[in-house]
Amino acid sequence: MSRKDLAEALGVNPQTVGYLERGDYAPSVELALKIANVFGAPVEMVFSLKPFASLAQIIGNKGEA
Amino acid sequence: MYVRSRRRPMGAAMSPMLARSLFAALYVLYPLGCILQLGPDTSDDLQLLSVIGLLMVAASFLAFAVLAGSSFQRQAQEPDAKLDERELAQRNRAAYRAFAVLAGIVALALLYMDLRMDFADRIPLWAPTDQAHWNALFWGAIILGLTLPAAFLAWEKEPPLED
Repeated sequence: MSRKDLAEALGVNPQTVGYLERGDYAPSVELALKIANVFGAPVEMVFSLKPFASLAQIIGNKGEA
Repeated sequence: MYVRSRRRPMGAAMSPMLARSLFAALYVLYPLGCILQLGPDTSDDLQLLSVIGLLMVAASFLAFAVLAGSSFQRQAQEPDAKLDERELAQRNRAAYRAFAVLAGIVALALLYMDLRMDFADRIPLWAPTDQAHWNALFWGAIILGLTLPAAFLAWEKEPPLED
């Protein structure tokens, strides 16, 4: 899904999606819930107070286990 | 003031660097141009300075015209309903800063006029005397009031790149 598609689904400016991706803007509860709804996932899977581990870290951890 | 075009309802995309340069040009060229054009007594040998001043004012208005259709000016001037929550948050921050700067300028101008009255007999400080002076100050205040929030937006963090 492109940034523009997600922005259209959320009714926001595509730049806002970019700010969210970059972690430069913390969304309101309403926008966070809308984003989670678009992805069909619980909101805590999309947003967290702690930074998510990168894909490389997750794959690395699986390899070690 | 935001000039919306049908082709670009979200405002003309403009890099922050270009917008910052145009705002800086606007805020430097207009007052300098006015000083050169109206400041010195325009005797014959100062005609050139007057023409240069007029050209600087014209260049500043050109910068203003380009900025009037920019996405920064759109974000600063659009009704709330046409902006999303991130744009509104940025706009509110920029408007607060612009208000603080404008209030500071007004306070300094009042202080200057007060000091001028106090020291009128010892130091001849400048004050607007004729209609041309007041005209220059009026349009300067209008330009500053209309563009300062957008200028603060241009100095926000770089927007993310498009897809």
